[in-house]
Amino acid sequence: MSTHLLSLVVAAPAVAAALLLLLPRQARLATRWVSLCGALTSLAGALVVAWSWDKAKGGFQFLEDYPLVPSLGIHIKLAADGWSVALLLLTGLIIVTGVLASWKVDRRDKEFFILLLVLVSGVFGVFVSQDLFVFFLLYEIAVLPMYLLIGIWGSSHEVPPAGPFRFVWKRFAVGSREYAAMKLTLMLLVGSAAILVAMFVLWSHSGARTFDLQALQAVAFSRSTQMLVFPLVWLGFGTLAGVFPFHTWSPDGHASAPTAVSMLHAGVLMKLGAFGVMRVGMVLAPDAAVAWAPVVGGVAVVNILYGALCAASQTDLKYVIAYSSVSHMGVVMLGAATLNAAGWNGAVYQMFAHGIMTGLFFALVGLVYERAHTRTIARMGGFAHAMPAVAVCFTLASLSSLGLPGTAGFVAEFLVFLGAATTRFPWWTVPGVLGAFVTAVYVLRAAKTIFWGPLPTGEFAHLEDARGTEWGAPLVLGAALVLFGLWPRLLLDFIDVTSAAFLQRLPLLADALR
Amino acid sequence: MNSPVLLGEVALGAPALAALLLVVFPWARRRRAPAAGLTIASSLVAAAAAAKLVIDRTGGAPDVRVTIPWLPAQGHTLAEVGLQLDGVSVVMLLVVTVVALCVQVFSLEYMRDETARSYGRYFAYHALFLFSMNLLVLAPNLLQLFAGWELVGVTSYLLIGFYFARPSAARAAVKAFWMTKLADMGFLFALLVLFASTGSFDWTVAASPQVATAVTALLFIAVVGKSAQFPLHVWLPDAMEGPTPVSALLHAATMVAAGVYMLVRADPLFARAPATRDLMLWVGAGTAAFAALLALVQTDIKRVLAYSTCSQLGLMVAAIGAGSAFAGFFHLGTHAFFKALLFLAAGSVIHAVHSNELGAMGGLRRRMPLTSAVFVVGALSLSGVPGFAGFASKDLVLASVEGKAGWVPWVLLMASAFLTALYMGRVLVKAFLGPPSEAAAHAHEPGFSMTGPLVLLAVPAVFAGLLGGWLARSLGADYHLHLGLTPVVASAAAVLGLGAAVFVFGGAGRRVPWAAALEYFDRGAFVDRGWESLYRQVLLRVSGWARWVDRYLVDGVINALGWGTLEVGTTVRPLQTGRTRDYVFAVMVGALVLAWLGGWR
Repeated sequence: MSTHLLSLVVAAPAVAAALLLLLPRQARLATRWVSLCGALTSLAGALVVAWSWDKAKGGFQFLEDYPLVPSLGIHIKLAADGWSVALLLLTGLIIVTGVLASWKVDRRDKEFFILLLVLVSGVFGVFVSQDLFVFFLLYEIAVLPMYLLIGIWGSSHEVPPAGPFRFVWKRFAVGSREYAAMKLTLMLLVGSAAILVAMFVLWSHSGARTFDLQALQAVAFSRSTQMLVFPLVWLGFGTLAGVFPFHTWSPDGHASAPTAVSMLHAGVLMKLGAFGVMRVGMVLAPDAAVAWAPVVGGVAVVNILYGALCAASQTDLKYVIAYSSVSHMGVVMLGAATLNAAGWNGAVYQMFAHGIMTGLFFALVGLVYERAHTRTIARMGGFAHAMPAVAVCFTLASLSSLGLPGTAGFVAEFLVFLGAATTRFPWWTVPGVLGAFVTAVYVLRAAKTIFWGPLPTGEFAHLEDARGTEWGAPLVLGAALVLFGLWPRLLLDFIDVTSAAFLQRLPLLADALR
Repeated sequence: MNSPVLLGEVALGAPALAALLLVVFPWARRRRAPAAGLTIASSLVAAAAAAKLVIDRTGGAPDVRVTIPWLPAQGHTLAEVGLQLDGVSVVMLLVVTVVALCVQVFSLEYMRDETARSYGRYFAYHALFLFSMNLLVLAPNLLQLFAGWELVGVTSYLLIGFYFARPSAARAAVKAFWMTKLADMGFLFALLVLFASTGSFDWTVAASPQVATAVTALLFIAVVGKSAQFPLHVWLPDAMEGPTPVSALLHAATMVAAGVYMLVRADPLFARAPATRDLMLWVGAGTAAFAALLALVQTDIKRVLAYSTCSQLGLMVAAIGAGSAFAGFFHLGTHAFFKALLFLAAGSVIHAVHSNELGAMGGLRRRMPLTSAVFVVGALSLSGVPGFAGFASKDLVLASVEGKAGWVPWVLLMASAFLTALYMGRVLVKAFLGPPSEAAAHAHEPGFSMTGPLVLLAVPAVFAGLLGGWLARSLGADYHLHLGLTPVVASAAAVLGLGAAVFVFGGAGRRVPWAAALEYFDRGAFVDRGWESLYRQVLLRVSGWARWVDRYLVDGVINALGWGTLEVGTTVRPLQTGRTRDYVFAVMVGALVLAWLGGWR
């Protein structure tokens, strides 16, 4: 087995981006095919990783280690654990379908694909990086292209000024794509600053002057260090995971972003945040994780219910889906806060399930928007007559979103709720389950208004179903939702090995919340 | 691989395969013959497997339970899925598959006017439904039962909304899903509580009385939603927006009975929770009488039958609450046949007169003799006339509540038995007797694919009652015919009710004033409206607040922070004047200050 497998997965999109730089602007089809090949290479690599990852052996496999700054203990060290396997697959699926969904981007398409691919390389890198410094570096590479992608290719949505802070509106043009891009970038950078501080605290207190995550994991940091590091990591990465009240970049950002960028951002990037909280915060600072768990879990259930309630009264379809991400990322954070195997498995599974589901949602919303030229739900109606496939896939995504058994969403939510029910805080499940009910209300109402009803006339008389490359996202992601809903062990077996290993190595963590 | 497991897998796998093929191959779904053929063939296979299982069972085959791990945690198995083949599940499987098969064959002709696309979609939904229902029926634990439970809920949503172009159908579909989903939170919490306290999803687990009470109470909430018990019954009458065969299969014979089936399955847990059983007794008896009253004032033949279903489910719930799961299950079985028969016969009438309204019918006995005959059979069975299936099981239900809770539930159920006969008599009088209306004058008997299932279902509607003893042996319950107060009063109630109907409704269309008041209470003012205002006044209002808070408060703080940063920047910017003398002056001042701090002091 090639030992450069992970480098291949990480580098393929970046290499494709470099190739795009050499292509002339007129080579539109070549641009797309090169991008698709880069994405497919990564997906294929991720599938090979999943295929040959040894579940009996567990641990970190496909290790690659290249010194970067040896004097400071910085290495490019790549390895895949069970969580990485699931998230690599997710990222691969989303980028391939995302490229397919971007086939019709016509404004500065070359630059668009270059940025998209660079971003994805960063995402792949974060999921397999075993060196905190490189982890952080790639994290920034994954986050920053968003500014350009939203600011240049995004769309605007006017928000009327109101409330106690309306005097601010004048200055910011709230709702415009420039505003969304700026807010997203600034908020995430503030988060990054917190992570940077935490990183150097860990580095200097480790005694070994190393950024190696496995070496750091072996260090028993003092309680005071942990209590300093954990909240920084939680808020730093948590901003990207949409933790309340630092989630407000997300609805504006996702609503303004172009289709593929929304897919990637809500589908994959938010998971980087949750992954960071678990992989860096909880594993490296277990005592503090136990101490902070009531807060993390409490905020997570606020996320779930509050996000769902906010989504229920949005009039713009993209905002509905964006707020549903805030709600669903709460499920991930709740699972993380349980600090038990069921909850952690559920959290990672929810990262995957929500990624697929929201990717599908944004792809479909993009499809609908392209044809109807509106995102206002109340203006639509009867679209199922003209676009039955879109209607079916939207319904499927809705059902996964509300946690229907047989879809991936159920497995994830159920595991998380099971995990929460067996902690000291079983009441966490109450707002969690209520949030799932509110989700049922808003997604099905949206599906009903948009797709059901009499045959549309007038401006919507000539809609058409998905065609050509537009089929990519609905088919692949829709099938994945059902496959991983019926047969969760396809992924859970990987995830569980790693969750169990982390919990076993840290006996303090296991059942600390019983 | 032993044979019963294989049969169980076939029963589960055949409809799943049909559904999968219809989803994966659009060309099959968009043509009539392959779509209907695949679905019906799969149902036939499933029904054959179920029949074989039942026959083997009668021959003394033992209970079988196989499971595979489904959710792992730390290397252990958290949850399993699999098959449980015992007396209850194989009988239920047979009932479900046979009724489904009849309904699907009936639909061949009933749905013929649909476009090919809709026709295929209809049968694909049916295949999906049968898979989900079998998944529920064969579940070895509450988790898989829950999975099937939710999936049949979705197929119900899809089938109610089958005519999605009609806004009323769309609304009814969503309403049904929301109401049952609201109740299903109870099921989910029950699973969580059960797992947190026993580490298992099995209904046989030895739970403490407190845990059992909590779990069963939560489960019962889900049953109230699924089996349309008061006050969550309001979705069922609206669900009649779906095609009539769907109403027969899902909203009368099988899916709504899933709630009762779950009560039968989880009976070991309920046996540890007497408080929940008392609650069930009251809710069931109350719903039975209440819904029977409402059935009396409906003008839409399907809505009469819908309320009748609520009422009959109440009967089953009450019996199980009284501690006789067998009586409830027996009535579930007979009800499935005669209610499916009634709905399909009603469908045949609707097909002929193109209206659901009783007022548009009348005198159909001449134009549609076969349909009229089987409808009469169904009505007599439902009314509990001695000699019909409904009598045997209803008698058992009534006997089970004898003397319970100061005889009040018994009286309520007896009253509902009388009212059942009364409203069925009303339908008979209005639709089949009397002078034919304009539409009814041109009605004609449907073709063989519609009459065939009717005749087939009429057989068990008459004779299924004879199977009581066999069923009791298969389930290990004790069953003996008895002659006493209950059967006599029940027979009298049935006969009197039917007689009174001819007397009361024989003339011009008279309405019952107090029943109309009740209808106002149910739909106009309180129950239905109550749920709607809960949705509009509470959920949407709170949601509106959340939206405002997020946009203008939480987001406002973030914006204000950004604004503040810019303002500070603007304020201090004039310091950078770009003039050398200002900077030299600042350097001088700085130097003086440092000097003062350092030495001059």
